[in-house]
Amino acid sequence: MDKRLEPLLPYVQKPARYTNGELNAVHKEWADQITKVALAFPDIYDVGMGNLGFKILYEIINARPDALAERAYAPWLDMQQLMEERGIPLTVLESGRDLVEFDFVGFTLQHELSHTNIIKMMDLAGIPRFSHERGEEHPFIIAGGPCAYNVEPLADFFDFVVLGEGEEVINEILDLYAASRKSKGDKADFLRKVARLEGVYVPSFYTPVYTDDGMYAGLEPVEEGVPSKIRKRVLADMNTVPIPEEFVVPYVDAVHDRAMVEIMRGCSRGCRFCQAGMIYRPVRERDPELLKETLRKLVAATGYDEISLSSLSSGDYSQIGTLVTDLIAEFGPCGVGVSLPSLRLDSFGVELAEEIQKTRKTGLTFAPEAGTQRLRDVINKNVSDEDLKQVVQGAFSAGWYSIKLYFMIGLPTETEEDLDGIARLAHQVLQWGRKYGTGQRLPQVSVSVSSFVPKPHTPFQWMGQNTMEELREKQKYLKKALRHPGIRFNYPRVEESFVEAVFARGDRRLGPVLARAVDLGCQFDSWTDCFQFELWMQAFSDCGIDPHWYAQRTREFGETLPWDHLDPGLEKEFLLYEWQRALRGEPTPDCRWDYCSDCGVCPNLLVDIALAGGEA
Amino acid sequence: MGSIIRFRFSVGSEVRFLSHLDLLRTLERALRRTGLPIAHTEGFNPRPKMSFGFALPVGVMSWAEYGDFEFNEKVSPHAFETLYNEHLPQGFRVLAAETLPEGTPALMSVINAARYQIYIPGGSAAEVKERVDWLKQVDTFVIERQTKKGVRKVNLRPLLLEVGPISPVGGGVEITTLSSLGKQGNLRIDELGQLLDFPYRDAVITRTAQLIMDGEEFREPMEIGVRDE
Ligand code: SF4
Repeated sequence: MDKRLEPLLPYVQKPARYTNGELNAVHKEWADQITKVALAFPDIYDVGMGNLGFKILYEIINARPDALAERAYAPWLDMQQLMEERGIPLTVLESGRDLVEFDFVGFTLQHELSHTNIIKMMDLAGIPRFSHERGEEHPFIIAGGPCAYNVEPLADFFDFVVLGEGEEVINEILDLYAASRKSKGDKADFLRKVARLEGVYVPSFYTPVYTDDGMYAGLEPVEEGVPSKIRKRVLADMNTVPIPEEFVVPYVDAVHDRAMVEIMRGCSRGCRFCQAGMIYRPVRERDPELLKETLRKLVAATGYDEISLSSLSSGDYSQIGTLVTDLIAEFGPCGVGVSLPSLRLDSFGVELAEEIQKTRKTGLTFAPEAGTQRLRDVINKNVSDEDLKQVVQGAFSAGWYSIKLYFMIGLPTETEEDLDGIARLAHQVLQWGRKYGTGQRLPQVSVSVSSFVPKPHTPFQWMGQNTMEELREKQKYLKKALRHPGIRFNYPRVEESFVEAVFARGDRRLGPVLARAVDLGCQFDSWTDCFQFELWMQAFSDCGIDPHWYAQRTREFGETLPWDHLDPGLEKEFLLYEWQRALRGEPTPDCRWDYCSDCGVCPNLLVDIALAGGEA
Repeated sequence: MGSIIRFRFSVGSEVRFLSHLDLLRTLERALRRTGLPIAHTEGFNPRPKMSFGFALPVGVMSWAEYGDFEFNEKVSPHAFETLYNEHLPQGFRVLAAETLPEGTPALMSVINAARYQIYIPGGSAAEVKERVDWLKQVDTFVIERQTKKGVRKVNLRPLLLEVGPISPVGGGVEITTLSSLGKQGNLRIDELGQLLDFPYRDAVITRTAQLIMDGEEFREPMEIGVRDE
């Protein structure tokens, strides 16, 4: 326990977030010649502990004799205040050391609304925010994760950024660092070397160019020999990299606090709004025997009572049925249940849901995303009304009484009819519930409607977001249409989706806005209670930035985009072609089962789809 | 044939900030790691059959926490103690374990008092003595207690049963107290602080006993009824 924090603990909420000493935490000797990495999560401990990527890196780094990894999380506001009052800097859990003492501080970029927390954590640690302000005495501030695919708004804060899957490149980086240390190279020397690794982006080696009328015109290298495009790293074989088998077990109630195993990476359903479906291609499944063996060790090492099979759409795993049955047969008798994090009915039979239900009572969710078949064809969400009908009726007859539906508003080509479609579906599901429900409890439908945020590297990346007024109108319309005691309607604030949209497709001119927002007091923006829209608007205006230009402007197809150099392997022609198919309402099949739709990822990255059952 | 084991365990300084639920989860996971044949409840969400004494206040250490675990097979208390200690995280330690005779009442239904050892940094023995002498003369000390159902007036005075030796230690004072715990009356640790007028958050507190008090007689929950040798 950190001696400086200890006296503060009786005064904060959930003090066990800060005490460390959790089971399986690794405490390595802080030896001179060892490379020290602080893994920093830009949210509170209870949220960060659920992140699988973090666990992977923690295990890989700590497995090296020449390196150690320790964890740091954003302290909650009450703790922050006490720390600031007493001049205690942000520390890591394991050794209680200050972040400045590390060689690397690695942030994970999960979400646009956690950007401010990264800057806040640097402030709390006493580390200068901008890379050009840091010297030899400071750690390298690095990052990776989904938001790395457009890291430009944060580019000036990081020394380098890793694109794509980290399992292999982290070792290359650490090898390079060890060598650079031996040869007594300075930070600049190391940066030049690391920039040559595939998947590594050093923002300071490029400078942005803008046209006279303020349009972004690309990046110009300022360092010799750096690549013009940074290609993501991808694993060819998911079965040969380390899988975490000894999770650190938190004391406090944390998200995804269970024995989690990633059954596959990538999803190729090709929903046109979905960034994850584009940037994690291709689909690569893990061998079911390997998964079972991993889970045996994981359960034995942690004592968890729940196994979770994680991926973007676990129901698509080619052996999901047998895997779930086997796991239930093996672990059920020991009181260990099986769950699939997003039990989405569209890819998941009711029988499988029932199978899982034997060990755990779970809710059922269904994500039609759009209210009409027409719009679902536009977004390539290949579920039909008929699918929905069968599956929902099946679920009600099997004893479920509560169903969650997910939709989006503000999608391209949306009309009032599509909104009516959302309401119609919700009422329809409720009716099915009355008709087919087994009667113990009244059927409940919960409808979550989020506002569409156009994301880079998707077929909708050029689209302007609806204005906040439009989105508010639509929410109002739906609120009225969904008024019914059996229906619960919830929707995030449009202001949050707006700020998210600004940064999702932002460029480097937004860096100062982030810094200003933190100065004004923005942090924990993904926590609705902490999100302060007025402060954001003030930050934009203080920096002379028009946020609407970023969120709502529809880009020209020929335009240079701020993320063009950050390359997940997709061909821009594919995205454009998909956009055109969207407008025509033409679905594109899933390349996992069907023919290749030529997105470019496999040939560009020299990888292949890998299914657990062999040939696709 | 199954068996129930009752055990006493300690909660050390490194884990004293766990909430009651955190603590239960931790003990349950450690139990699962032992691989012992735990009995489970029936139904959709099978839970291990385990029960405990009264929640340890957050921030307080203990030498006297109790748990009952039910197993599907006969498990020897000695083997349990060794194995469970191997699997408990640092800060927890089983100090004693016994097989529970059938029909032994649950911990929560019999425990009714607790002893605390309290070190008050910067506290003065004279001031504490004065306070205790004053308390001895009054019958009521009413405070407003925040409960789920709203605010309720409670007389704390009868809940404090005894204040033991008061001794200056280092730069502060150490005292021991005996107070009510459980369903019939419960003195919370912050209320103990109010009664004795010390800042409970800054004090170092250890629960040294949970007791079954019967008139003048005290029994420790490990003494499982069978008193004749
Ligand atoms: S290249 Fe073809 S097979 Fe590979 S992910 Fe793209 S669409 Fe699928």
